[in-house]
Amino acid sequence: MLTLLRRRAVSSVIPLLFVVLGVFFLARLTGDPANLYLPLSATPEMRAEFAARNGLDDPLITQFGDYLAQVAHLDFGESLRTAQPAGEAVLRAFPATLQLAGWTMLLAIAGAVVIGSLAAYRPNSATDRIASFLSSTAASVPDFWIAIMGVLVFAVTLGWLPTSGTSGAAAWVLPVATLLIRPFGVLVQVVRGAMVSALSAPYVKVARGKGASEVRVVFGHALRNAAAPALTVAGDLAVGLVNGAVVVETIFGWPGIGKLMIDSVLQRDFAVLQAAVLVTALAIFALNILVDLCHALLDPRIRQRAAA
Amino acid sequence: MLDTSEAGGPAVRRRWFALLLRDRFACAAALVLVVVALCAVLGPLLAGELATRQNLRAPGRPPFSLDHGWAFVLGSDSLGRPVAARLLAAAGTTLAVAVPAVLCSLVIGSVWGMWAGYHGGWRENVSLRVADVILSFPSLLLAVVVLYVFSPSAASLVLVLAVARIPVYLRTARAEAAELRSRLFMDAARTFGTGSWAAIRRHVAPSVLPTLLTVAALDFCFVMLAESSLSFLGIGIQPPDVSWGLMVAQGRQELQSAWWIALFPGLAIVVTTVSATVLASWARLTTDPGQRWREALGRRPRGARGDRGRSGAGRAVEDGERAAAGSAAEDDRRGAADSPGGGGEQAATGSAAGDSEQAAADSTTEDHKHAAADSTTEDHKHAAADSTAEDHKHAAADSTTEDHKHAAADSTTEDHKHAAADSTAEDHKHAAADSTAEDHKHAAAGDGGRAVPGSLGGLAAATTGKAAGGGDVLVVDGLSVDVHTPAGPVHVVRRVSFAVRSGETLALLGESGCGKSMTAHAVAGLLDPVAEVVGGQVLLDGVDLLGLGARARRRLAGPGLAMVFQDALSALNPVLTVGTQLAEPFRIHEGLSRRAARARAVELMERVGIPEARSRADAHPHQFSGGMRQRLLIATAVALRPKVLIADEPTTALDVTVQAQIMDLLGELRGEQRMALVLITHDLGLAAEHADRVAVMYAGTVVETGPVAEVLGRPHHPYTRGLLASVPAEQQRGARLSSIPGSPPEPGAVPAGCAFRTRCPMARERCATHRPALTGTAAGRAAACHFGKELADA
Repeated sequence: MLTLLRRRAVSSVIPLLFVVLGVFFLARLTGDPANLYLPLSATPEMRAEFAARNGLDDPLITQFGDYLAQVAHLDFGESLRTAQPAGEAVLRAFPATLQLAGWTMLLAIAGAVVIGSLAAYRPNSATDRIASFLSSTAASVPDFWIAIMGVLVFAVTLGWLPTSGTSGAAAWVLPVATLLIRPFGVLVQVVRGAMVSALSAPYVKVARGKGASEVRVVFGHALRNAAAPALTVAGDLAVGLVNGAVVVETIFGWPGIGKLMIDSVLQRDFAVLQAAVLVTALAIFALNILVDLCHALLDPRIRQRAAA
Repeated sequence: MLDTSEAGGPAVRRRWFALLLRDRFACAAALVLVVVALCAVLGPLLAGELATRQNLRAPGRPPFSLDHGWAFVLGSDSLGRPVAARLLAAAGTTLAVAVPAVLCSLVIGSVWGMWAGYHGGWRENVSLRVADVILSFPSLLLAVVVLYVFSPSAASLVLVLAVARIPVYLRTARAEAAELRSRLFMDAARTFGTGSWAAIRRHVAPSVLPTLLTVAALDFCFVMLAESSLSFLGIGIQPPDVSWGLMVAQGRQELQSAWWIALFPGLAIVVTTVSATVLASWARLTTDPGQRWREALGRRPRGARGDRGRSGAGRAVEDGERAAAGSAAEDDRRGAADSPGGGGEQAATGSAAGDSEQAAADSTTEDHKHAAADSTTEDHKHAAADSTAEDHKHAAADSTTEDHKHAAADSTTEDHKHAAADSTAEDHKHAAADSTAEDHKHAAAGDGGRAVPGSLGGLAAATTGKAAGGGDVLVVDGLSVDVHTPAGPVHVVRRVSFAVRSGETLALLGESGCGKSMTAHAVAGLLDPVAEVVGGQVLLDGVDLLGLGARARRRLAGPGLAMVFQDALSALNPVLTVGTQLAEPFRIHEGLSRRAARARAVELMERVGIPEARSRADAHPHQFSGGMRQRLLIATAVALRPKVLIADEPTTALDVTVQAQIMDLLGELRGEQRMALVLITHDLGLAAEHADRVAVMYAGTVVETGPVAEVLGRPHHPYTRGLLASVPAEQQRGARLSSIPGSPPEPGAVPAGCAFRTRCPMARERCATHRPALTGTAAGRAAACHFGKELADA
């Protein structure tokens, strides 16, 4: 198990480095922050002074070296916008997104397992067709539009739910529902497919031949085998939630990391953007390891291969 | 999507079209996409000027009113611009981004992926790492950053979206190419010096393309959604251009006063993406001929990955699949003809791979070369024909490598059925004749025949359904099973009757596809959802199992009747310890605690001869050898001392030496527990050696029953005769084998009258009109032939 972890950790470090590197340089290409933070009438001297103060006058490679050294000391620099430590801003925003994403994935997985299994139990039945059509629709609707329609119906017209904010359970309904809809749609299809093949496997017949109840057959025998593909996809979808979070947080004014990133790009706030991306990348890294661990827990063959 | 049809010329396109018309759902989706495409082309011409012209006298007009001309039918925004006209104009912008982006990533990603997968090694690793890096970064964020560098425009959107999606195609193409790389014919192509790009183009691309196109269709949705998301966030399409996402963003500002501005563009996105999804899943089913009907029947695509070559798994096919193959063949053929670059060739290459493996198994370099030279259908026929001849010779000359050949022969038949695609009847026959010869070779040994005492009275029970002999524990009477296929029900088992007594072994003998496995599954109540018992009785100790409710039936599963499957690897759950699986019957039926059930499981493992049972109980199935796995499976089946044990080809997947051990174990257990054993086999030798009585099946019915030595010694049915004649006997070494001409009928196409008449040397007029019933021909014997009596008396 440890071998598996170590191997995974090592192989993930390089992509991680690339992401950090990419964001650093790409962010520098998005334009000179002096244009944004200094008045249009600023003199070249003022510009030079601004650049020097923020370490923007060094060659890019030096800047990157400094940046890495700082990061090693957990210093992410200061926000150009608020002059506060960038790390703090990111750490304040991160839990909001994590909670949002966590609830979303939890509900999506739970719902998909139930509905996907139901659909797979009798393939091509009415239940199956309805579930398949609805899930493929859910997987391909634009989330920003669903969010706006949700606001229109439940907040503006009916007045049941708030349009934004994080206070109270009601405020969670629309953001979670919006974020949920696409991962849910995809997962239902994956679970259904995996369950159809698991349920037609000979070991399921053997279990029935032992007199096992249908509940035992579906959840005791088939589901664990069907879990692997669903888990892989769920991992990818969780990464993709960052995309959704950018949209949903913007629409609902959710003080999460997605909104923070969009805002810092718009504001040329390099330090915050870099810190936010680094934290996101680390979270994705941790998530991938978690997914691998779950795979190993589910399937003894993977454990054995990892040990070998 | 529709693009897939472009490759194949007008005739092919027409057939695709016909297929599309049959599926109303896909048809509607295609129609929507055509309309969207038309809007995209004509929209800017019709509405380009209207879409951007502000009309301050007409702000915020509500929708569904024709008073102001068609452009205002969906209302207008606060600047008086008509929503309908803007929607039309936006269709063009949306497609102008999505289509080029999808095409770019498709071309770059798939070529890169095939290259990486074909070569393997560091190229593969580096490519996958690059894909990981791109995919590990949320694509929207990447887009946000890049769009700030290059300033938002349609062109930079295309660039960003294409880069973000390349890894998806790269991974898919690599996986498929790597899978092909492992096939033998690719090795051969390489040894023949085919250049890598040529090999990729000829061997890899055709089989990867259908999958990639399906991925592209789904990706089209993703790209459209991404574009509209970015436009919505203000960093995609910029005003004064219009896109659906941009319109939603604008509508958001006026949500309270003019809901229609946000509603309609969103609906347009949903309708387009959903249509693309529906069409993509339709295309996936259509381009994969194997999958089309299986999916329709809710079955797992068999041997989809890596299974095809493995003889054991290849053979794990149940009669059901075969049964449906009747109608599947139809679809297959169509699929193959329709998409020469697609599914059809996939089937062909698949079977060619199977053949080359067979050739390899026979280790005749000749065949190998043939199969390898090319994987086009023609050569593949060569390979098949050649190996037929080879096999015959081998079969006659040699009987030590039986196992290998079994595997080979079976996988040939399989693949041929699969590739009924290009199934000229000849191929098919070859394969079939071949496997007939193969399958019954065993009887060479058993033919001399140990005299086994037959049980009396069985026949009476079998034919009348009355439990005549007091000892009959299982009586099957007039059992009929239908498989539901898209083309209607297929009768795969037709009025099958037999009976078994306690402590007796009945062999259900027949070629693959004759319905013997289906019969067994019907008796055990383990039919797939697509198959259904449509008549007859299954009496266990006088109780009709078919009339029982699910709960009552479950109570009998284990203590009353149990089943052993042929492929123990797939019959054991891979993720549970064998201890857990063996303990399950005790937990379910005797309500034992975990600990107590486990103790019983260990005892059971010891009984069937698993060494170090106590510690091995915590191991998983993949940690056991094939023979040990079969022992475990048998242990599970006999755990509760069933009255009847049905063993479905229990030794087919095993080595010859292990086969004997397993049969001995079954024999011992049968004696110990006084079980009735129903042994399902295609192996005359096995039946001769281990059964007391035999029921020979052909095309879904029992054609002859009786004591095994008598039936095999002096058959009363021409089919049984044919089977025996196709077995090479010791003294006939070198003589020409006679095999039954023709091939067994597909279950959907059984001839009227006697099912065997088309292959029968004795067939007369009467055989075409009257189906012979199973009637007594001698004491304890019966045959379903109009001339059974004559054969008996001759």
